[in-house]
Amino acid sequence: MSIANISRRRFSWPTELVPFAVGILLWQALSSADIWPRVLFPSPYEVARAFVADTASGVLLVNLWVSLKSLIVGFLIACAIAVPLGYLMGLSRVTRNFFDPLVNLLQAIPGLAWIPFAILWFGLGQGAVLFIIVMSIFFPVLHNLLTGIRMVQPVLIEAVQTLGAGRAAVVTHVIFPATLPNLMTGIRLGIAFGFRSLVGGEMIASTDGLGYAIFNAQQYFQSARIVVGMLTIGIVWLAMDRLILRPIEQRTTMRWGLIRDGLEKS
Amino acid sequence: MSDILVAKDISKTYFDEAAKDDVVALTGLSLQVRAHEFVSVIGPSGCGKSTFLRIVAGLDRPTSGEILVSGRKVTGPGADRGMVFQEYALLPWKTTEANIEFGLRLKGMPKAERQAITQRFVDLVGLTGFETKYPHQLSGGMRQRAAVARVLANNPTVLLMDEPFAAVDAMTRQHLQEELTAITTQERTTVLFITHAIEEAVFLSDRVVALSGRPGRIVADLTIDLPRPRKWEAVVRDERFAAYRDQLTQSIHASGAPKVAS
Repeated sequence: MSIANISRRRFSWPTELVPFAVGILLWQALSSADIWPRVLFPSPYEVARAFVADTASGVLLVNLWVSLKSLIVGFLIACAIAVPLGYLMGLSRVTRNFFDPLVNLLQAIPGLAWIPFAILWFGLGQGAVLFIIVMSIFFPVLHNLLTGIRMVQPVLIEAVQTLGAGRAAVVTHVIFPATLPNLMTGIRLGIAFGFRSLVGGEMIASTDGLGYAIFNAQQYFQSARIVVGMLTIGIVWLAMDRLILRPIEQRTTMRWGLIRDGLEKS
Repeated sequence: MSDILVAKDISKTYFDEAAKDDVVALTGLSLQVRAHEFVSVIGPSGCGKSTFLRIVAGLDRPTSGEILVSGRKVTGPGADRGMVFQEYALLPWKTTEANIEFGLRLKGMPKAERQAITQRFVDLVGLTGFETKYPHQLSGGMRQRAAVARVLANNPTVLLMDEPFAAVDAMTRQHLQEELTAITTQERTTVLFITHAIEEAVFLSDRVVALSGRPGRIVADLTIDLPRPRKWEAVVRDERFAAYRDQLTQSIHASGAPKVAS
C-alpha cells in the first residue's frame, strides 16, 4: 500500500539545493543594492572568499574540530545520564517522585547561566564549555523521553502481557521502540540547545572553537568571517541531520508509520 | 467435557475519579466455559462485560471472587489467556510475521519451529504475501486478522476477544466473523468473546450469556444450536437464528437495561 512512501522520499539534489540557491540569490541581490555598508552586510562572494581562506589556513578546521569535539562529548555524557534516568523515572514511581521536582527546578535554568560556575570549577577553556553543553543537552533529552514514556499506549503493554511478556520483555519490545520518536525529538532539541551553549560558552569562556572565532572576528570587523562561522554551524547541523538523524528515523519511526514527512498522502 | 475456565462469584467495584464515587461493575458473576466451547458475553454498554474479560485476562483484579483456568487460579496476565483487542494492539515496529511469532519468541522456541507455526497462521488468516508489511500498511480488517493470528499461534488455553470487530466496516466484519468461526471450529479453540452485538454473538457462539445493565448479572444463558461451519447467508435464513436473537433481546430489555444516550 504505502511502502512506496519510504523509497519515494529519497534524497534528491534539486529539492535539497533549490531553497539554498534562492536564499543565496536573495542575499546577493540585497548586498548588490548597496543599502548598508559592506562591513555590516557582507556579500556572498566575500563570505565565500573568507571561507576559502580560512579553510586553506586550517583555522576553520581547527575551530570546527574543537567545537565538534565538545559538542559530541557533551552529547554523549548528557545522553549517558539522561536516557537511563528517563527510563528509570518512567518505570518507577519512587524514582520519578524523587527526581521530578529536581528536574523541573533545574530545567528552567539556561545552560549559559552555568557559565560563571563552569569557569570557577573548570577554568577558562573547553572544560567549562563542555560542562554547559552537558547541562543544555541533558534536560531536553530527559524531558522528551519522559513525555514519550507517558504516551505509550497501555493496550500495547496489555496485549504483549497476554502473550506471555514479563517486565523485561515489555520494556524491550514495547517501551523502547514506542519512545523512540520522542527520544529523537529530545536529541534534536538537545543538539540545538547544545549549539547555543557551545557558541555562547566559547564566546565567554574559551579561546578557540567556532563561537570564539565568531566573537573574535567581530572584534576585528571581519564581518565575512563572522558569517563563515555562523554558516559552518548551520552546515554542521544540516550534515548531522541528513547523515545521521534522518537515516535513523527513516529506518525506524518512519518505516513503522509512527511519524511522517508531512501530511500529504504519498 | 470439563470446565477449562471457571469464574467464581466475581465482583468488581472501582472508584470513578470523575464521579467521585464507587461504581459497582459486577456482583457475584459465575460462569463456566468448557474446552472447545465458543462462549459470548453480551450486554448493554457499561454492564461490566469488558471488565469481566479483563479480570479473566488478569489485567484487572476482581474485588472478590476468583478465576480458575485449567484449575489454576489467575493472578495476572499470562500466555494461556491471549487477548484480541478492539484496537488491534499490534506492535507498530514489528512486521506481520514478527508480530505473529512474538509469543513464540518469548517462549524461546527455536527459529525453524517458530517460522513454521507463524507461516501456518499467516496462511490460516489469509495474510499470505503480507508477512513483511508493517501494521500501518495493512487495512483494519487485515490488522485484526494479524492480531487473531498472533494470539492463536501462541496456542492459548482460552482465546479472549474484546469486541474485536467493532472498529471494522460492516462488510469486512461479516467476512471476519465467518473466518473466525471457520478457524476456531477447525482449531477447536476455546473462546470467550465480548460484544454488544446480539446477532454477532448468536452467529459465532455455542453459548451466549446475556448480562443485565450495571451491575451486570446473568439474565440469560442460551445454547446456540446451529450447524457449523456457519455462513451468514445460510444462518440468517435459519429460523432458529431469529428466535435466539429475539429471545436474547427480550432478556436484556426485560432486565431493565438503561437506554444509553450516545
